[in-house]
Amino acid sequence: MNPSTAPTSTSPATPAPTVAFTADRITKIYGEHTALTSVTLNIPAGHVVGLLGRNGAGKSTLLQIAAGLTLPTSGTAHTLGRRTDLLDSPELTRLGFVMQEGKFIEWMTVAQHLAFTASFYPRWDHELQHRLTTQLEVPTTRKLADLSPGDRQKVGILLGVCHRPALLLLDEPMSALDPIVRRRLLDVLLERLRDDACTIVISSHLLNDVEKIVDWIIALDTGRVVENSSLDDLQESFAEWTVTAPEAAPLPAFTEPFILTQQRTDRLARLTVRTSEPDAAETFAVAHRVGVQTRRLSLDEMFPLLIAAKPAASALVP
Amino acid sequence: MPPLLVINPHNGVPAYRQLMDQLKLQIATGVLPAGTELASTRALSAELTLNPMTISKAYNLLEREGVLERRRGQTLVVAERSSGDAESDRLAHLRDHLATAATMAAQLGITRPQALRIFRETLDATAAKSPPAP
Repeated sequence: MNPSTAPTSTSPATPAPTVAFTADRITKIYGEHTALTSVTLNIPAGHVVGLLGRNGAGKSTLLQIAAGLTLPTSGTAHTLGRRTDLLDSPELTRLGFVMQEGKFIEWMTVAQHLAFTASFYPRWDHELQHRLTTQLEVPTTRKLADLSPGDRQKVGILLGVCHRPALLLLDEPMSALDPIVRRRLLDVLLERLRDDACTIVISSHLLNDVEKIVDWIIALDTGRVVENSSLDDLQESFAEWTVTAPEAAPLPAFTEPFILTQQRTDRLARLTVRTSEPDAAETFAVAHRVGVQTRRLSLDEMFPLLIAAKPAASALVP
Repeated sequence: MPPLLVINPHNGVPAYRQLMDQLKLQIATGVLPAGTELASTRALSAELTLNPMTISKAYNLLEREGVLERRRGQTLVVAERSSGDAESDRLAHLRDHLATAATMAAQLGITRPQALRIFRETLDATAAKSPPAP
């Protein structure tokens, strides 16, 4: 064992980089398949990023590149300030990755596996491990080979967070968990955020769950970044407008560029809009002499609008 | 501790905005009198399962609006307000709600005298149900 000659690598005084991950025009090609196409983005430290996209959009590939498990075909990525092809123990010990389907040593019991993984990390937090085992109801005496998909996911989470990473990457971490455990997992993640100012990137189809804790949204579609905004900004710019004709006159045609979709009859129209202009609805109502009622959209409702590359220009027939 | 804060993460209104609105309402209605200490960002984040950045964003904006103020030792408290300010806050809350009703009245083609009559009747019905004001 190394005598503690240089207290530098694990010292908490190591300045935290302000950007947890950067991608500079990264492209990833697997054989015939292009998983990512010239992706450029920054993930600022301390945020909880929701990585959204349909199946095959490139979410897992991006997370694997961030974790250094695979290298981009072209372009460069930096994780915790270090180019990902040069990642070494100072970064790797501060990186947590919870994979969609964790690969474990199947003959070990959960307790053995935790001890095994802990032995690689100088900062492993045994108290945290103990607490999370109880909180997430992890069956420590059973062999990995015998666990249900949900319990395997819980073990993956424990192995990903107990060394208290500075950057935590989670790839569909909740798909097999029941709603109670999902809720507890969110508490666990928030606690990491409060105690360690950990940066969290979480890909999930369960938008209702992630909506509670994410503050930033990155959406991918067929390997490209189609959205990269704070959740507050998205929520304040997307809306559904119910437009009514006040008198007998039919509704006029609406051609404003901020209209993403419209469904309409002569007397009633339902528009989805994206505008950061706070008075847009009032201005619209006055301009067209119509009544407008606005409603904000949930992440679930925004999602199809985010990944529709172009606003559906097809004016729906009356 | 501000009691009874409920954030709905799915109604599309940003969580910081919901938090600001609810705190303002509690202050306007006197549930949180001037000088009341607010829960720390940490504590409230744990209680509401919310990102701590969301809480500090709401607190910072309320502080900038003069609704909250920092005391020695960084404690955040409900700011002292003149009775005139408190009054105009309360009126602003009511005005917001009535704006929605006014839009609805226009859409339904309800005339001005009809709408005013309905509001008067609603006030009477509410007064009949609640205990007499002191």
